[in-house]
Amino acid sequence: MLTRRSVLRLAALAPLAVARPAAAQDADWKKVVDAAKKEGKVVVYNGAVGTPVLPKVGAAFEAKYGVRFELLEARASELRERIRTEQASGKVLGDVSHNGSTTTALQLAEGTFQPHGTPPNGKRPVAPFATDDIRVPIYVITYGILVNTDMVKPGEEPKTWQDLLNPRWKGKLLSDDMRALGGGAVFFMVMTQKHGKEFHEKLAQQQPHMNRELRGNYPRVARGEYPVYFPFTLPDSLDLKGLPVKAIMPPEGSPYVRFDGAIFKGAPRPNAAKLFLDFLLSDEAQLHYANLGFVPVVGGLEGRIAAEARTIAQVKLLGTTDPKLQDDMLKLAKAIYK
Amino acid sequence: MSSITVGTRVETARGLASGRLARNVALGALVALLLFLTAYPLAMLVYGSLHTTPPGEAGTFNLDGYRAMLTRTNAVVLLNTIGLSLVKTGLAMVLALFLAWIVARTDTPYRETLEVLVTLPFYIPPILTAMAWGMLATPKGGVINLAWTGLTGSREPLVNIYSYGGVVWHMMQYSTPFLFLLMVGAFKSMDPALEESSRTSGATAFTTFRRVTLGLMLPVTTSAFLLSFIRGVESFESALIFGSPVGIEVITTEIYHLIHHTNRPDYQQATALALGIMVLMFLLVAWQWRLLGGRSFFTVTGKGYTPRVARLGRWRWATFAFCVLFFVVTVVLPVGQLIVSSFFKFFGFYRWSMVTTDHYFTVWNNRLVWRALANTLLLGVLGATATMMLGGLIAYVLVRTRFGIRRALEVLAWLPWMMPGMVLGIGFLWAYALMPGPVQLYGTLWALGVAYVTLGTPLAVRTMAGAFAQLAHDLEECSRVHGAPWWTTFRRILLALAWPAFAVGWILIFFIILRELSASILLYSVGNEVLSVVIMRLWTEGKAGQVSVIALVMLALVFLFRFAEQRFTRRGTSSPFRRSSPADAGSSLPPPRIARAKPALGGPEC
Repeated sequence: MLTRRSVLRLAALAPLAVARPAAAQDADWKKVVDAAKKEGKVVVYNGAVGTPVLPKVGAAFEAKYGVRFELLEARASELRERIRTEQASGKVLGDVSHNGSTTTALQLAEGTFQPHGTPPNGKRPVAPFATDDIRVPIYVITYGILVNTDMVKPGEEPKTWQDLLNPRWKGKLLSDDMRALGGGAVFFMVMTQKHGKEFHEKLAQQQPHMNRELRGNYPRVARGEYPVYFPFTLPDSLDLKGLPVKAIMPPEGSPYVRFDGAIFKGAPRPNAAKLFLDFLLSDEAQLHYANLGFVPVVGGLEGRIAAEARTIAQVKLLGTTDPKLQDDMLKLAKAIYK
Repeated sequence: MSSITVGTRVETARGLASGRLARNVALGALVALLLFLTAYPLAMLVYGSLHTTPPGEAGTFNLDGYRAMLTRTNAVVLLNTIGLSLVKTGLAMVLALFLAWIVARTDTPYRETLEVLVTLPFYIPPILTAMAWGMLATPKGGVINLAWTGLTGSREPLVNIYSYGGVVWHMMQYSTPFLFLLMVGAFKSMDPALEESSRTSGATAFTTFRRVTLGLMLPVTTSAFLLSFIRGVESFESALIFGSPVGIEVITTEIYHLIHHTNRPDYQQATALALGIMVLMFLLVAWQWRLLGGRSFFTVTGKGYTPRVARLGRWRWATFAFCVLFFVVTVVLPVGQLIVSSFFKFFGFYRWSMVTTDHYFTVWNNRLVWRALANTLLLGVLGATATMMLGGLIAYVLVRTRFGIRRALEVLAWLPWMMPGMVLGIGFLWAYALMPGPVQLYGTLWALGVAYVTLGTPLAVRTMAGAFAQLAHDLEECSRVHGAPWWTTFRRILLALAWPAFAVGWILIFFIILRELSASILLYSVGNEVLSVVIMRLWTEGKAGQVSVIALVMLALVFLFRFAEQRFTRRGTSSPFRRSSPADAGSSLPPPRIARAKPALGGPEC
C-alpha cells in the first residue's frame, strides 16, 4: 500500500533512477570514444562534391579527438554504386555516408546502413528536422534567385517565385536543368507541390535556358549574359562578393535539400563513425555549416553565426523533395520543358 | 658421324619442342592477361545487361535492358550520334590531312615547330575548352558575337556554341590533332618513287595526290577515320555541355541520364545500350577489315630515300599562316582564356580590382593536389610504359606471326576502344571489387593502373602494329640467326627500330591517363587520388581559377614531353631503319602485307 512516506521516498529516489541510466549512457559513450580512438580514422563518402565545409569539420574533428578524418568524394549515384558493390563483395572501405536526403532515403530502403544507436547529440535537431535510428540530419542547402544588379534595377527585381512568370523575363532566364537531378529538380518538385504543374507550364513559356553547369552559371549572370538565374544555391552568394550580382530570397520561402549522415553496414570503423555523426551535430560543426550559409539543424546558434551568413542561414524553408515522387517529377519536367 | 648427326637432330628436336612450349606458354599468358584486362570487365557488363540487378544483388535474368533499348527515341538519338560523329570526323579528317600534308610534304617554314603546335589541342582537358568556348561563342554576350555585333551592327549573333555546329566544333578540336598525329608519319614515310612514277606516266599533280598518295594511305586514313569516328560516338562532354541544353542528345548522354538522373540507376538498360553500340562499332571495324583485306599497301621499302617535298614558292607562307590560324583558334583563344583567368578572382570576369595570384598560391599549398599529381605521374609513367610494352607484344603477334589466335587477340585489344568510358568504368568497379581470390585490387592504387592499361591498350596496339608492319622481316631473322634469343631480338631490334612510334604512343597514353575520369572516379580511394578527380572536385566547387592553374601545369608538361619526343625521334631517324611513326597506327588493321625489304644501306649486314 502506498503511504505518503513511501511516495516521498520514491520521489526522492526518482532523480537517481534517471541519473543512473544517464551515467551508464555516459560510460557507454566513453567506451565508444575510446574505441573510436583505437580505430584511428574515419572514412567519409561525400556526395556534395567539392563542398568547402566538410574538410573544415573534419579538421575540427581530428583536432578534438585525434581520430584521422579521410574524405572520398564522388557524385551521389557513383557513391551509391560504389558502396553497394563494396557491400556485395564484403570489402567495405567507407564508414560514414554524407549525402543528400533523397539518395540517403533510397539507400536506406536498400539496406545500405546500420543503426547508429543515437549518439548523445542525436536528440539535438529541432523541427522540422529529427534523427531516426539510422540517419542524422546535418544541414540544409537552400535556393533563391540570382540577379545581375547592372541589368536589373532594385524596383524591377523578381522578388517572388511567381515574378519569374512576368513576360518581361521571357528569353532572359538562365536555369539549372529541371530535367536532371540537382537544384533544378528540387525547384521543380517543390514548385509543383506548392503551385501545381501550371506554374511550370507558364514558366516553360518564358523559354528559360537550362544547363547543368551549376557554378559556371554565376559568372554568366555577372557578365550580363542573362539577368536572372534560378534556382540559385544561396550559400554560394558568400563567394560572389565583388561581382555585380545579388541573391534574392523570396518571402514565401526557399526550396531546400537536407543532407544526412549515416553509418554503412559493415563499416570497418563503426565507433569512429558514431563519434563523427555525433560531432556533426555539435555546436562546433554546426557553426561551420552556418557560417558558410547553410541552415543548421540544431537550435541555439542564432547569435553566434557570422553576420554575413546569418540571413542566409536563417532563411524561411518552403519545401523539399520526396524520393517517392522523384522519377515521376523528372518525367513531368521532361514533358513540360522540351 | 651418323650418331653425332642423330644426336644433333634429337637436340634440335628437343630445342624446337622446348621453344614451342615456351612460345605456347608465353602466348597463353598473353591471352590470359588480355582476357583479364578486357574480357573480364566486359563480361561483368554483359551480366549487368542481362540481369535485373547489378552483380552481387539478388535478381533474375531477362532481356528487358535490350528491349528497352529498342525505342523510337533511342533510334533518333542513335542517328543523331552517328550524324554528329560522321560530320565531325569528316571535317576533322579533311583538316588533319591538309595539316599533315603541309607539315610533312611541303617546304612550309618552321614545320617542326608547327607539328608540335598543331597537336596541342589534344592535350587540353575538354572541360576547360568547353568553359572557354562557352564564353567565346555563346549567343548572348560571347566575345566573338560582341565583336561581330559591334563591328557590323547586326542584331543576330555570328556563332552559337549551343547548337549542332557548336557540338561538332568542340569535338573537332580533339579529333583534328588526334587524326593529324595518326597520319602525319605516313605522309613522311611514303616512298616518293611511287608518286614520281605516276607523274612520269602523265598524271597531273592532283590526280597523283588523289589516286596514289591518298590511295596508298588508305589503311592509315580508314583506320584513323574509324578510330576517330568511334571516339566521336563515345564522346560525352561536348554533347552534354553544348547539346543537352538545347535538346541535342546522343547515346552517351542517354547513358549518363540512365545512370545519374534516375532514382535508381538503370544499369541494365545503360549497359545494354553501351553493348549495343559496341556491337555496331565492331561491325564497322569488321567492314574495314573486309575493305582492306587482300590488298597491299607497300609504303616503305628497304631502299633509302627522302620523302618528296613540294616547293610552294610564295604559297608556303599561306600554308604557314593556315597552320598558325589553326593554332590560334584551337589553342591560343581557349588557353589564353585560361591564362588570363588564372590571374583573376572570377573566371572570365576581368576587372583590375580582381587581379590576383591567389589561385597559384592555393594550388601550391593544396596537399591534395600534390598527392594527386604524384599518384598521377607514377601511374602515368608506369601505366604508359606497361601499356606500350603490352601493346608491342600484342602487335608483334598480330603483325609478325601467323598464329591462329592472333585475330582473337586483335578483337580483345579493340574492345575497350568501343565501349563508352563511363560504362567501362562501372565494369572495372564490378570486376575488381567482386574479384575472387586472395589478390585485393579494389581500393589500391593498382586498380587504377590496371584500368589505365586496359584503356590504353587499343591505342598502343594500333601504334606498335603500324610501326612493326614497316620493318622488314630480314632484320629479325638476321638477329635470330646470329643466336639472339627472341626477347633480345624483340627488345634490341624491333622495339629499338620502332622507338619513334613507341615514344609518341607513350605520350598519347600518358596524357590519356592524365585526363581519365570515368574509371578513376569509381576506383580511386583515399590516399590514391589522381589529378582528374581533384580537377573534378575543384570544378564542381566552382574553383575554375584553380582548375586553370592545374591545366596550365598539364600543358607545360605537354610542351616538355612533345619537344623531348621530337628530339628523340629526330635522333632516331638518323638511321634509315627508323622511319616508322605512330602515325602509322592506323595501318595496323589489317596489317598490311609487309614488303620483304632488304635492309637499307647502312643497315646491319646479315
